[in-house]
Amino acid sequence: MSDESKRREESAGLMEYSVENLVPFGPIHPALKEPEYFKLILEGEKIVQVIPRIGYVHRGLEKAAEQRPWMQNMYMFERTCGICSFVHSLCYGQAVEELTVFQVPRRAKFIRLIVAELERIHSHLLWVGLMGHWAGFETLFMWVWNDRELVLDIVEAISGNRVHKSMNTLCGVRRDMPEGMEDRIVERMKYIVDRAHYYREIIDTEETMLARTEKVGNKISQETAQKLCAVGPMARFVGLRQDVRLNDPYAAYDEVPFDLVTRTEGDVRSLLRLRLDELIVSANMISYAVKHLPDGPFRVRIPNIIPAGEHSSHCEAPRGEIFYYVKSNGGKIPDRVKSRQPTMANIPAALELLKGQNLADLPMVLTAIDPCFGCMDRMSFFDTESHRQWAWSGEQLRQYGIKHYFPDRISAAPALKIGEAH
Amino acid sequence: MPRRKAGAIIPEMFRVMLEKPTTEAYPYKPIKLPERFRGKLDVDPETCTGCGVCAIVCPAQVITMVDVGTRKVGDKELPVKRPIFDLSTCIFCGECVDNCAFKALELTKEFQLACSDKADLMMRKALAK
Repeated sequence: MSDESKRREESAGLMEYSVENLVPFGPIHPALKEPEYFKLILEGEKIVQVIPRIGYVHRGLEKAAEQRPWMQNMYMFERTCGICSFVHSLCYGQAVEELTVFQVPRRAKFIRLIVAELERIHSHLLWVGLMGHWAGFETLFMWVWNDRELVLDIVEAISGNRVHKSMNTLCGVRRDMPEGMEDRIVERMKYIVDRAHYYREIIDTEETMLARTEKVGNKISQETAQKLCAVGPMARFVGLRQDVRLNDPYAAYDEVPFDLVTRTEGDVRSLLRLRLDELIVSANMISYAVKHLPDGPFRVRIPNIIPAGEHSSHCEAPRGEIFYYVKSNGGKIPDRVKSRQPTMANIPAALELLKGQNLADLPMVLTAIDPCFGCMDRMSFFDTESHRQWAWSGEQLRQYGIKHYFPDRISAAPALKIGEAH
Repeated sequence: MPRRKAGAIIPEMFRVMLEKPTTEAYPYKPIKLPERFRGKLDVDPETCTGCGVCAIVCPAQVITMVDVGTRKVGDKELPVKRPIFDLSTCIFCGECVDNCAFKALELTKEFQLACSDKADLMMRKALAK
């Protein structure tokens, strides 16, 4: 074995496997909407192990947030994801609002709930369509995306845009609900519920869907899911009662009644059922919220300067729990913003789900977690010479930055060891 | 759970066939836009005072203020500024429209912005006065 191929295998951690069993999957692959690389180790047709390599679409959002005013960051974080855009701005906004003395008006909280739930419906419908597409049931894809248009029409009528709503502002929403929309929304939601029941019937009885989804996916236990920090539907489909809307209500979720949907089968079909059930719950929540929309102001104007302090916030995005942390030094721009997206938390559970599955089921199982790789990419350290990975604290990273940009200034600071374990 | 029979799709097929088409003949027929649609930005050169608030609040740094001359206030010469809009990077959030105290800006219903030269999307309308 030449030195080069030996080094390559060492870097992959594959010494115990022969090279013939290694199948590269990605970064550009028809089954992935965004670039991500998975090393698949196979035994025959079965997947033994999956090694992910993330970071192809790292955009430096957190660093960019440190150079923009508070309000402009809201629009930037809204563009973290192209599907669940509203909930990102909501979560960032909630963290900043906690630092101020102003209260969000009750009407704004209800409008936030309505838009967030509309977003959940359109995200889940999009996903159900994609699952039909990968299962080879193209008709389902066409039906579901047709119904998704009805939801997007409502979103467009409320906010003025289909995906990037630009609805949120600090301490309120920018637009009130349009007049005379109530009946139209309730009627549409009723239709969506009917359709969701029909799709549930299809996935329970249709031969194509059953063949591709039933007992597909390595069943993971509740303990494993908890240990691997699975969030959102990936935690609920094994029976964990984990939902931020219920556990730590934000917006108006404490005033609108809803049922938490969980399943216990732990295969891809249970994820389909779970998301369709969640969609029905969301549609009922919207109907309730539209009927019980309180009167009053929908926005409070606040100053550009946010008082010093730090706060975090978490919300239930369609894909799971998202988390934002903000730190202010009392100025016009944030000191630090940290965001954690659900796909990042769900990747370890997804790798567990793939073990022992056929290679042909890989697109189904990987799509089943509803991945959004563009959202989750973060920076990590990897030395290509010694094949070592490590983590740095914020202070170590700052010192490295100073040393890199101003080598003459660092003389007073302690010497830094590259790759020092933290 | 019983398996679905082969002909179970027929009622759904008739339902879809009998309802009107979902797609629209868009380039040949004008598309119906909602009332709140946020399209291309437009500025009224008569009302714009060049205060520069829009350039400060813009999240995408679309707006740059340029000097177009000077004016006399008392015995001081102050620069007169007007905005230039680079619509190729506009994200259509409408923050500038919300913050314009003189109502000189608006988001129109125009959305067909494709062009072969990026320079065509530079809006210098406010300069001509």
